[in-house]
Amino acid sequence: MEKRMNPALVVQLIISGFLMGGVYSLIALGLSLIFGVLRVINFAHGEMMIWGMYIAYTILLLTGIDPFFSLVVSAGALFILGYIVQRVVVNRIIEFPEAMQVIAMIGTALIFENGARLIWGPDYRSPASRFALSSIWIGEIMIDVPRLLAFLIAILIAALVFLFLKYTDTGKAIRSSADNRLGALLVGTDVNRVYAVCFGIGTACVGAAGALLVPLMPLSPHIGPPFTMVSFIIVILGGMGSLIGAVVGGLIVGVAESVATIFLPSSLKQIVSFTLMVAILLLRPKGLFGR
Amino acid sequence: MEKMNRRTFLKYSATVGATTAFSGFPAILRSQPKEILIGSIQPVTGVIADVGIGDRRANQLAVDEINAKGGIKSLGGAKLKLLLADCEAKEEVGRTEAERLIKEGAVCLTGPFLSGVAIAIGTLCEARGIPFVIDVAAADAVTQKGFKYTFRCFPTSSTLIRNIGEFLGQIVKERKANIKRIAVTNAGDLFGRLQGKAFVDFVKAKKLSFDAEIVEHIEYPLGVQDLSSEVTKIRAAKPDILCPVARPGDAKLLIRELYKQRVELLGIVGPGSPGWYEPEFIKDMGPLADFVMDNAPWPNPKSSKYKEINDRFAKLYPGKYLDGNSGYGYLSVMVIADALERAKSTNPDALVEALRKINYKDNPMVGGPVQFTPNGDNANAATALLQVLKREVKVVLPKEYAETSYVFPQPPLWKRG
Repeated sequence: MEKRMNPALVVQLIISGFLMGGVYSLIALGLSLIFGVLRVINFAHGEMMIWGMYIAYTILLLTGIDPFFSLVVSAGALFILGYIVQRVVVNRIIEFPEAMQVIAMIGTALIFENGARLIWGPDYRSPASRFALSSIWIGEIMIDVPRLLAFLIAILIAALVFLFLKYTDTGKAIRSSADNRLGALLVGTDVNRVYAVCFGIGTACVGAAGALLVPLMPLSPHIGPPFTMVSFIIVILGGMGSLIGAVVGGLIVGVAESVATIFLPSSLKQIVSFTLMVAILLLRPKGLFGR
Repeated sequence: MEKMNRRTFLKYSATVGATTAFSGFPAILRSQPKEILIGSIQPVTGVIADVGIGDRRANQLAVDEINAKGGIKSLGGAKLKLLLADCEAKEEVGRTEAERLIKEGAVCLTGPFLSGVAIAIGTLCEARGIPFVIDVAAADAVTQKGFKYTFRCFPTSSTLIRNIGEFLGQIVKERKANIKRIAVTNAGDLFGRLQGKAFVDFVKAKKLSFDAEIVEHIEYPLGVQDLSSEVTKIRAAKPDILCPVARPGDAKLLIRELYKQRVELLGIVGPGSPGWYEPEFIKDMGPLADFVMDNAPWPNPKSSKYKEINDRFAKLYPGKYLDGNSGYGYLSVMVIADALERAKSTNPDALVEALRKINYKDNPMVGGPVQFTPNGDNANAATALLQVLKREVKVVLPKEYAETSYVFPQPPLWKRG
């Protein structure tokens, strides 16, 4: 066993996990934002991410523009899609009990997943992109360039979302609607529009995250559910609706899943995130940053 | 269209009635089916939808061929029809879908690529008394349950393991390769787990013709999204060769990580799994796909039958070619058709009897004529060692099927990017 505990291996795993955690954070941020404001859990989150991936993939294929740039298009497209989904589906179920909301959201997820299959086919694709194979070496430690870029961009986008919510009028309207829906209505906020914009921002985050993942993993229409699951865990762990909780939670889960492979078979990786979630809920029932 | 009045309505219904009386009823009396229904259950959605769709297309390719040649002649030229079902890569869905196809009148089932699903369907077919001819599913356990109605065209997991043992021995002998340390990875589905473990046990039991040990054995879930930490562990174990039991998605992840982390290997030699020979793998991985070896059931490149069906397949689905999985998808329906022809009936027991006595020689795959052993395995199913050379899959071993000679040790991955 002592062979496996060599320090370079541990450092390597922590770095890989931390960088991956950045992307997890961005995915979970979208979910947390939507839940915090609309009180609806977007069970189509991972499936929407797939659309972000495929849009970036298509742009890469047709024009050769790297996903790290075309993520703007992915995010924009997902904003529009999210806006429409909110208006057509979510808005009608917003007052329903959770169990009924789940059914509508899972239905949406199935439409997104199989829609992607109809458009892009079922094959696993891993397009060659400029940075997909580059890495930096510091002694024994390898830093994966696409992962590093994905991490930096994800954190940048998360920061922009924070600033947007804090300083813009729309951002303030979103926060006030989240705090007190009735109050926001009374002072004349167009809550329905605010909800749709907020859902759009949430899905735009996951769309951008999807584009960031294109150089990192093969895409197929069916890889969404594990991402919905992991972002759900992160959001619970960080505190439902807490944005900073989503970011910190994402980093924790990323590192934990990666380091756990030293002790556990990889197929049990998800146990780690669930165990972590249960442990944190025992100590802090509302999550790390829940109020 | 003119509006239908009472008189034309009567005229039409009289015609319909007469047609039914003259053509429909005697057909039932003769009990000669005009159309024979065959159920095809494949994982066409879910984590391995790509392979599932390939298998379904190959099933259909064979059905079309039979029908174009005049159907089942001993049954008055009855045409075959494929009833389609999707098992979503899940055992329980496979079982309910099989139940549905049987209710809809399927006289025989084929499918389902996944061994776990195969057992679920086999159990049901046993209870319902419907023959089940498996195209692809390798786990030994599938045919060791005492099923009477289940037959398998595909080679078993132990055949795969035995053959990879022989191929590795041959490589070590011919190229004086110094293979001492072996790392194994497998996906965590039933086949992946059994195949990975069987290979590890095979090496540990010193059944290889040379002395080698397992230095790392990693299992990850089917549909995994990230293999960076797993590859870090492989690198730390310093193996000479990597023997991965993969699926199309994780094969790509694995090879990219091996490149990025600069894992030094003499070669990648799959003990038998998909992932390494699909057109998407080669197209997307480019130079990294080259030199990868895989032990797999494969079409016989020297068979003219194979060339003919591959041409048809490639024309229907541009960019695709017939591989080991779709090849067996084609073969299983041909086997069913052959049994129907000789059984002269769609009666399940007559069909099972005909399957037991089968000797299907027109096999486009590597291996001999299809003959089933008492427990339903294809006695002459075999595998070939493949290597991707200049972005094309070539059979390199055994010599009788080889298209070219192999390259080993394989040039390091990171010198090719």
